Amino acid sequence: MTATTMFPLPIAIPLAVAAFIALSGKLLGRRFSDALAIATAAANLWMTISILRATWLQPQTYWFGNWWPRAHDVALGICFTVDSVGASLAVLASLLTTAGLLFSWEIFEDTENHFQPLMLIFMAAMCGFSYTGDLFNLFVFFGLMSVAAFALCGLKTLEPAPLQGAYNFGLVNTVGAFMIVMGIGLLYARTGALNFAQVGRSLGSSSDALVLLAFLLISVGYMVKAAIVPFHFWLADAHAVSPSPVCVLFSGVMVELGIYAVARVYWTMFQGGLAAHTRELRAILLVMAAITAIVGALMCYAEHHLKRLLAFSTIAHAGLMLAGVGLLAPKALGGFSLYVLSHGVVKGGLFLCAGIVLHRLRKIGEDHLHGEGKGMWWTAGLFLLGAWGLAGAPPFGTLLGESMISDSAKEFHQAWLPYIFMFAEIVTAGAVFRATFRIFFGWGEPAPTDRSSQIEEKPETDEEEENVPAVMFVPAAVLILLGIALSAVPNLRSTAEAGAQLFTNQFTYAQAVLQNVEPAAPALTAPEPLTSSIVRSCIALALALLLALGSLFHKRIGGWLKFTHGLELGNPILRKVHSGHPGDYVAWLSFGTALLGGMFVWFLRR
Amino acid sequence: MSSRARTIFFLISAAGLAAVFAWGFRDAPPLGDYRGPYGNVVTQVAVYERHATDVVNAINYDYRGFDTLGEEFIFFASVLGVLLLFRPQKEKENEGKNDSKEQEHLEEELPVSDTLRVSMQLMVVIMIVFGVYIAAHGQLTPGGGFQGGVILASAPLVVYLSGNAETFERIVSSPLIKLAESGGAAGYAIVGAAALFFGAHFLTNIIPLGMTGDLFSSGTIAVISALVGLEVTGGFVLLMKTYLQEIIVAHGGKK
Amino acid sequence: MLNYLTYIVAAWIFLWGLYGIVTSKNLVHQVVCAAVLQTSTYVLLLGIGFKVGGTAPIFADIPVGTSVVDPLVQALMLTDIVVEATVMALLLSMVVKSNEVAGTVDPEELRVLTG
Repeated sequence: MTATTMFPLPIAIPLAVAAFIALSGKLLGRRFSDALAIATAAANLWMTISILRATWLQPQTYWFGNWWPRAHDVALGICFTVDSVGASLAVLASLLTTAGLLFSWEIFEDTENHFQPLMLIFMAAMCGFSYTGDLFNLFVFFGLMSVAAFALCGLKTLEPAPLQGAYNFGLVNTVGAFMIVMGIGLLYARTGALNFAQVGRSLGSSSDALVLLAFLLISVGYMVKAAIVPFHFWLADAHAVSPSPVCVLFSGVMVELGIYAVARVYWTMFQGGLAAHTRELRAILLVMAAITAIVGALMCYAEHHLKRLLAFSTIAHAGLMLAGVGLLAPKALGGFSLYVLSHGVVKGGLFLCAGIVLHRLRKIGEDHLHGEGKGMWWTAGLFLLGAWGLAGAPPFGTLLGESMISDSAKEFHQAWLPYIFMFAEIVTAGAVFRATFRIFFGWGEPAPTDRSSQIEEKPETDEEEENVPAVMFVPAAVLILLGIALSAVPNLRSTAEAGAQLFTNQFTYAQAVLQNVEPAAPALTAPEPLTSSIVRSCIALALALLLALGSLFHKRIGGWLKFTHGLELGNPILRKVHSGHPGDYVAWLSFGTALLGGMFVWFLRR
Repeated sequence: MSSRARTIFFLISAAGLAAVFAWGFRDAPPLGDYRGPYGNVVTQVAVYERHATDVVNAINYDYRGFDTLGEEFIFFASVLGVLLLFRPQKEKENEGKNDSKEQEHLEEELPVSDTLRVSMQLMVVIMIVFGVYIAAHGQLTPGGGFQGGVILASAPLVVYLSGNAETFERIVSSPLIKLAESGGAAGYAIVGAAALFFGAHFLTNIIPLGMTGDLFSSGTIAVISALVGLEVTGGFVLLMKTYLQEIIVAHGGKK
Repeated sequence: MLNYLTYIVAAWIFLWGLYGIVTSKNLVHQVVCAAVLQTSTYVLLLGIGFKVGGTAPIFADIPVGTSVVDPLVQALMLTDIVVEATVMALLLSMVVKSNEVAGTVDPEELRVLTG
């Protein structure tokens, strides 16, 4: 079996197994279904890693149904074009699903046999999403991902909060999905094609109003999934109520896939048309990224519900990842893919740790948990390592991603970007440090009570146990340690940049897909020294610790550290805006679309 | 935000959106001027290449069959989600032990007139035949698996409405329904994978194509259409059963 | 102007659907408004595929080569309809369950998750 024959399997096999488990799970018992699901996820992990190695610097195309393109570049079928960026995202998705399924061995006694199939379908959709080379196929996998996510989010149906969270999630994402379909329709009206390469070739360098409107609609739809401000309101609600293994998938890879989609859509189709306005587009995207990072970080520090805290930190890091894409350069895009991988495993591990807290201590609000975690040293250690990873300090892989993005920013005279990185890193890592010190060490003042942390989550397991089960602890530890292990891969930054070069070259992409011309492997350039990034990230780590300690001991220290307490109480206006009302969320979505559309009309028209 | 503030905020954004739409649609191709290559090429070649006269279904189940696989599983995941949301909860069982009988059986007899009862029973037969006809002729005329499956799934509902709650209960609790749903979904993936064994790419049409216009033509298009029909029937019947049980139990048996 | 009527209608329905969602006081009404929003994409897609003088792309009784409308947008619409129906089913079941647990379908009263 050649490597390309394997391409459809990470999607087809989990789907078939999911249907099988849904049918026969009751007959075969819970443990068998669990074991089968874990085995399928592990098999997917092995397959996606093989596919990554096969397409390392050689993107390959696979046409479904043997429908190769006709003369004059007309593609009637659907293709998968797998390159290293997409393949690495599929590996991340399979890895996090395996970890989540392992974690859930101990939980969910009453979901019959519906949980495992939904997780497998979610994984298949994410793999398909990362591999596809067709515009509508991207949307179909987006829809599959979303439906599985809505169902998994609303799992805990005995409390009102999960249903509200799942509903908000469902409604806002569905409106985004409709916008994507409108955008696809408009692009089809202009080009008569749905294949990325064919559309890109058809559009050429035209960028009239219809094309810009299509770009607006498609980007907004995917940015809703990517939780970019002002489309981000659903994320915290969804995370606050989802079970921990599901949160791992949401924050670790689903949000990042939204940003990946914006990058893919831009680089394969719109890059030629918008080439004259790259500077303006870059500015627009970077401003959005910065606002997202700042808002996410500020709300993160003001949260005391562990999962909402981590959710807002995902929003902040999503802003940083959008900056990697928004710089519109190969080096930054390479940094983006590294950042996604290392952030995904670290955040996934942190959510599993939050699940461990819920399991052992039966509560999830920081104020209720003050000092109750004393004695859980291993879990506390994982939390501390995770916060270290969020701060982007060595030896975590997040450092490498951040350094590539910052170097690229300097080349484009956007030297302010590394400081936004620092801000987001300091505040989000500080929040996790603060929570760890409060819960596991019992330090400091009791946390201020905010409304959201009053919603206590029902514990996911039935009985309390003395020790954390290995099946919960090991996946969490492995994920966080992988964040460190990523830095050990040789030549990682050069390969990432080379892979990004292939991703961002619209011409060679179209040739490879439509004419089967293999692109030349790009040369690996030596990466720039890491010193400035290391210095910045170590300062960020130190400041994060200081921030956490400052908020904990603000009564004793006082003076100029009082602002840390203000940061913890949060901005009341910002809190009110995050109201939990779905109508509000959709109103903000419309506002964001109109504003972005206005900016496109003003800056990007011919 | 207060209700008024939200409305005003939205109306401002809507005005902006309308302006952006108006600006964008100026460059849209006018109605009736379809120029794109896809439609022109596929209508020329589909009948010859696949011996299917319904080009829409040829696209759905063959040219772009992979999309339809994803769409089918969207349906499957949704049904799973609804079943998950309405699953019997442990606390509920402890509360309402006397309700458990109602959770199992929808035993109320709807008071229907005799005319309605007889005509509905006739309707069921017509619907089943029509549903199978539509599902089986997908490759020849408009229709196909989805459409036929929805019609077939309405037949048990008509049984319920004609007053035969017991028959309805027996039909929808049959394990065949779940088998149809999962079997249809998995079958689609397996048909696609079967092509891999013949050295072709996933979802290639490997069965002999037959004569254009015949009932058994166009290879895997007919097979996939039937599988999709099975899955949609099973899925919708499960949905109906879940909703009816939930609503009747929640309202304590009141209609 | 008549030439662009489909686009105007699609945009109109889209904006009205959004208005309905934003100002809704009942979750069931909100979900149905989302369904209305979806129909704007159907109008848009079908309008794009239309060819003046074209007939249905079913060659059972017409020879290959007659002018037909675009079949791809119809195939896309079929997929779209299935996606919409299933997502609406899921959202509505969340609303039904929410009503059971919390006793209300008014989004204003359901605001458990804030800040």
